[in-house]
Amino acid sequence: MAYPREQTEELKRYCATLAELTDGGVTFLYLGGLRLPAGCEPSICDALLCPVEKDGYPSRLYLSVQVVSRYTRNWNCSNARIGERNWFAFSWKVNLASPTLSQLLVAHLNGFAKEK
Amino acid sequence: MAGDDMEALEIEILEFAERGEEVPHAKAYRIRIDGETVRVDTPTPTGELLLSKVHKRPCAFELIQEFTHHENRVVEPFEAVNLREPGLKGFLTAHKEIVTIFINGDPYPIERGKRTVAEILSKVGQSTEGYTLMEEKGGPPLPLPPNLPVEIHGCEIFHSQAQSGGSS
Repeated sequence: MAYPREQTEELKRYCATLAELTDGGVTFLYLGGLRLPAGCEPSICDALLCPVEKDGYPSRLYLSVQVVSRYTRNWNCSNARIGERNWFAFSWKVNLASPTLSQLLVAHLNGFAKEK
Repeated sequence: MAGDDMEALEIEILEFAERGEEVPHAKAYRIRIDGETVRVDTPTPTGELLLSKVHKRPCAFELIQEFTHHENRVVEPFEAVNLREPGLKGFLTAHKEIVTIFINGDPYPIERGKRTVAEILSKVGQSTEGYTLMEEKGGPPLPLPPNLPVEIHGCEIFHSQAQSGGSS
């Protein structure tokens, strides 16, 4: 699945490298060196954005490490094997009607900046 | 060439101030701001332009004129300064206590130092209950957690966004 070029271009602002990665029939967006919100440790990590339904979520953001943030998160996905790497994700449901890729990414990053 | 009509290429205004002489017309003026010498092409630059010469902005700094024989004077950003004014030695800058931040493109005054996300959102009549505060800091806007103080120096750029998403 190809994502709109203008949306992938906008997504590049958030990370050092951007690539498409297909695994198990799903096209993920690989965000190398993604900047995380203030208060996160580490402040930068790699991520995979899955803009389509996966594991019962309308979209998902996988991170290369279990990030420590200002709010405790329910990391219900550990060491998921995607693209020959292990990934972590916390339980976070984004309900946005037709978001752009960057809107979707920011909505997931909000998970680090929101109590519930 | 008539002497009276002669225009100097570049003048150091401090030298004239120290000698108590009138500053003549020139193509350019060398002035000192915080001890740093900068070049200005007009005899009547604005405060904002002078601040920009030392990489500072009026949203965080004020500009102060220094004179040889009388008190210093604060220059407003939009105010034109007469560099040929007798006794003008140069300029100082000072970090403002009340600085300007930008939220959704509009300027708002706020006290410098550690501020809360709630305090910043209240400037636009919003609260942390329904809105996320995002800061543009050397990149695209990223959300700020409400339980982390925000260090305000002046000129910060924020955006507010209706909250979306939640733990499930």
